[in-house]
Amino acid sequence: MNLFHRLFCALGIAAASAAAAQAPGVSEREIVVGSIQDLSGPIALLGVPVRDGMQMRFDDANAAGGVHGRKLRLVVEDAGYDPKKGVLAARKLVQRDRVFAFLANLGTPVVMATMPPIVDAGRPHLFPFSPHESTYAPRHPLKFQMFAPYQDYMDAATRHMVQTHGYRKTCLLYQDDDYGLEVMKGVEAGLAKLQRPLAEKTSYKRGATDFSSQVARLRGAGCDFVVLATVVRETVAAVSEARRTGWNVDMLVTASGYSAQTHELGGKAVEGLYGVTVLPHPYEAGANGQLADWIRRYRERFGVAPNVWSAMGYTVADLFVKAADKVGRDLTVERFTAALETLHTPRDFFGGPEYRFSRDEHLGNRHGRIAQIRDGRWAILTDYLK
Amino acid sequence: MDGAHGSPSRPGFAAWAVIMALAALAVWVLGVDYALAQAAFVATWAIAGLGVVLVVGQCGQVSLGQGALLGLGAYAQAVFALRGVPAQLSLPLAIALGAGGGWLASLPARRLGGLYFAMSTLAFALVVEEALVRWESLTRGAAGLAVPPLALGGWVAETPLAQALVACVALALAWLACRRWAASRLGRAWRAVREDEIAAAAAGIDVARAKTLAFVLGGGLSGLGGALYAHWIGFVSPEQFGLMLSFELLMLAFIGGARHLSGALWGALVVVALPQGVSLAVERLPPGLAGAAGIEMALFGAVLVILVLLRPGGLAGSR
Repeated sequence: MNLFHRLFCALGIAAASAAAAQAPGVSEREIVVGSIQDLSGPIALLGVPVRDGMQMRFDDANAAGGVHGRKLRLVVEDAGYDPKKGVLAARKLVQRDRVFAFLANLGTPVVMATMPPIVDAGRPHLFPFSPHESTYAPRHPLKFQMFAPYQDYMDAATRHMVQTHGYRKTCLLYQDDDYGLEVMKGVEAGLAKLQRPLAEKTSYKRGATDFSSQVARLRGAGCDFVVLATVVRETVAAVSEARRTGWNVDMLVTASGYSAQTHELGGKAVEGLYGVTVLPHPYEAGANGQLADWIRRYRERFGVAPNVWSAMGYTVADLFVKAADKVGRDLTVERFTAALETLHTPRDFFGGPEYRFSRDEHLGNRHGRIAQIRDGRWAILTDYLK
Repeated sequence: MDGAHGSPSRPGFAAWAVIMALAALAVWVLGVDYALAQAAFVATWAIAGLGVVLVVGQCGQVSLGQGALLGLGAYAQAVFALRGVPAQLSLPLAIALGAGGGWLASLPARRLGGLYFAMSTLAFALVVEEALVRWESLTRGAAGLAVPPLALGGWVAETPLAQALVACVALALAWLACRRWAASRLGRAWRAVREDEIAAAAAGIDVARAKTLAFVLGGGLSGLGGALYAHWIGFVSPEQFGLMLSFELLMLAFIGGARHLSGALWGALVVVALPQGVSLAVERLPPGLAGAAGIEMALFGAVLVILVLLRPGGLAGSR
């Protein structure tokens, strides 16, 4: 065992000194990027399109000759929303696949558990799908984020809705977990700026299907505006319940309910529902030329229509490609993060926001916009709310 | 071996050889840190698994709430560590809390049996998860708690090597304790209760006490496993200790062989390491197939079915 151990140490040192010449995951012809996704767990519905979107952006870059002559390779590990699997996946990607950076890891428990070993290994932790503040603050040289906490979006969105519609009693229906609490903080902050209280709030447990008591309670409180901190299925169930009982109150759902599935499942009942969105859903009808081409290629490549998560995956990977491109041929972690800190991207063909990073601001965008379901699809109503 | 009678068994030389060979292969193929991180999780899960083996395998009670006991240990450790309580003190407290939770969960066993009692443990798990969400001042609710690395005196277990070492030492101690219990008068009482409660009572065994002790000791082991898990993961949130975890632990015990102490280790190897093996195997598949969503889960499921068919008594079982 002792001999084995010594042999191993010697091999390790040899490998380390060979690698010191170049950043891990960067070879003459290739850049390897890792991602820990949920492809089999409770949020696989998000994980699969995110992965496909990223893969497509990398394929596009590779088809155009790669980044400064290097092809991009995406290595995806499925953690199934289990932090234990996530930690092992992070170790595997660091050590075995020697990835250069981690891109768009998915799910708060997985992200929180894997972030320390990733940054300890000196790998950039880029744009995770988790609204947790610690993914970008306090500032850490290797942590970058492009998805603001729900609090930021919902603060501005609530204020905008109350100011433009003159609601008197704003209420909240929320999922009783970290997601719901984040939204509540945002709604309360927005109302506080207008010197109004939150008139009524009521919660539900994740996975609930019956919202009759919650809706009755909100109606009883005389709410004229209800914010929904719900996900797709619960959004449909809550709005349908209100309409079924003849209550035509205005409702605003967070970005988690902004999905094509909401109007596909909800049909007529969810017509008129407001939603907060960061990236618009890529609808085929009425798409601009570039977007229509992207949708066609996505459909051909993966056999399904893209959704907003596919667009997010594509955008995340696009930011990586742009930053790597900015660095030039001599790609190291320091040079990459320095390039990212000066990156400013314009609006893209999805109609997404500008992303702007700086030395002191590692969160690329804090703004969302308001949309509404009209004629069975989301229509964007406002620009990004500052 | 004595598996059919359910007395404590030790993995034989061949089993140890297989485990050592697997470990060497893992280090060779995966790299040291990745393999050691796995070893830490396997050992930690084996400790929790021993708890299930005591309750389910030795005493014959079905517990659907073991994940909640793990959660109690994890949260106790997290809360104490964040308040600067040294691990030498907080680890025993986490174990005590797990044991206390086990005692609470076992109370309905005085009146209920079989499936009804299993349902009460399920309810217990739900209550604990709900309490972890609601008691925000202590647990920060659903937002979760970041847990600092394990510090024993001046030594901090930050590297995978240190974590694996701590987990293996804890597992060894837990193992020795379980062997003692299973070989004692108490162990014989457990097995008598498992085979036939009425006969056991007729033979003068205090059935309620035997069940309670199984839950208390099993709960303590789960608490220890949870405390270590909290450090290895570095972040605890209530959803991690939901029913899925309880089912995973139950699966661990049955796959490994609930009637044998070594079943906990085999089960932990399957539950923790097998998905990693599957993930490596999937990389070898053609890209179209390897990219299919959920393929790893499907393959893992298939391997489990095969294991159960070939070894219905668990991997540690005689057949």
